Amino acid sequence: MRWLIGIGACLLAGAVMIAADDLPDGEGKKILEKSCTTCHDLTEVTKLRGFYSRAQWRDVVVTMKEYGAAIDDKQVDVLTDYLVANLGKK
Amino acid sequence: MVLATVSTASAQVRIIQTNSMGDNIHLIDPKTNQIVGEVKGVPLNHGAAASPDGSRLYFSSEAEQTLDAVDGKTYQILKKIPLTGRPNNISISKDGKRVYVGIVSAPGAVDVIDTASLERVKSIPTKGGIHNTWVTPDGKFVVAGSIAGKLMTIIDQKSEEPVWTLPFDQGVRPMAFETNSDGSTKRMFVQLSDYHGFAIVDVAQHKEVGRLELPNDIPAEKVDKGPFNGSPSHGIGVAPDGKTLWVTSRPNARVYTYSLPDLKLLPNPVDLGGRPDWVTFTPDSKLLYIATENTDSVVVVDVAARKEVTRIKVGRSPKRNITMVMR
Repeated sequence: MRWLIGIGACLLAGAVMIAADDLPDGEGKKILEKSCTTCHDLTEVTKLRGFYSRAQWRDVVVTMKEYGAAIDDKQVDVLTDYLVANLGKK
Repeated sequence: MVLATVSTASAQVRIIQTNSMGDNIHLIDPKTNQIVGEVKGVPLNHGAAASPDGSRLYFSSEAEQTLDAVDGKTYQILKKIPLTGRPNNISISKDGKRVYVGIVSAPGAVDVIDTASLERVKSIPTKGGIHNTWVTPDGKFVVAGSIAGKLMTIIDQKSEEPVWTLPFDQGVRPMAFETNSDGSTKRMFVQLSDYHGFAIVDVAQHKEVGRLELPNDIPAEKVDKGPFNGSPSHGIGVAPDGKTLWVTSRPNARVYTYSLPDLKLLPNPVDLGGRPDWVTFTPDSKLLYIATENTDSVVVVDVAARKEVTRIKVGRSPKRNITMVMR
């Protein structure tokens, strides 16, 4: 049996995690909620807080897109900007 | 992954447990199942490897994008070696002279670290970012698995050049090796993205010859719905005596055992109480250590009895683990 990602229960669980992590609203957050937490908890993203430059965050987003995350090319930069602003290296 | 299968009567054994959301790594003595050591200062540690004599440890840091070399006695960091991108899992050559670091950043590579100079000496290009690397039990090949590329790359260890690749329909996750009587690799058991089981690869044929799906043997209301990082089965190992294959299930929070070579499912799966990840054995094949990432603990299993022995609290989100023999 194949375990398909993207089930509603996972989206709900991800939304709870996002609320707990208190990230600010924005287009990037919407992408996180829709495209990232279907596969993993938000802690897999927030664990990188303070470590990565823009180029490194972009690398993460591109890698996740290659893994199958539903992110289009425009959203890559939107999400990267959001992650840099809120979790990037200061 | 077990680093030595020879007699360890006069050697000390340590289970090395990484903590993927912490900056520390725990060392467990399997004689007492107590934590007896801790390495600090490796933020978001991913992969672990140890030299054949246990004098040196190596860890990849996702946060700092380095390979950290650590003294095996003092647990002090000797050097942080910059990598070409974001690292995932690592492996070490049988002679301990090379560490192979999977680089998950696109386009993908295996960074090669010389352990004498503690310098990166080569970066082997791959098709797709590398999630895990392994050195085959006979030491002759390095196997690099790619999630994005959905294939494995087999690299000749001496020349450090790719010699063949094998594509899959899903990303390549952890794998385990079954050997022939001469120590060469007979079959690889390969976990794949979004598949609750494993693929069987015949090495002589260079092809996948089948898949085995794990049982759905617990009540539906008790099945963990995830998310599982796209990998419902993400922990697999062949016991050092070669008699059994152990495979973890995240939805079922269990580990299943198959006899080898016939791959017959054995009774009495072990309940783990959390989402299992990587597995490693003691060299005598008596104990199995399974990281359960969402309980911050390691479950110790009696291999012969297929029963839990104890649980050991470790750090945040434990995942990769290895067995080290100190000589």
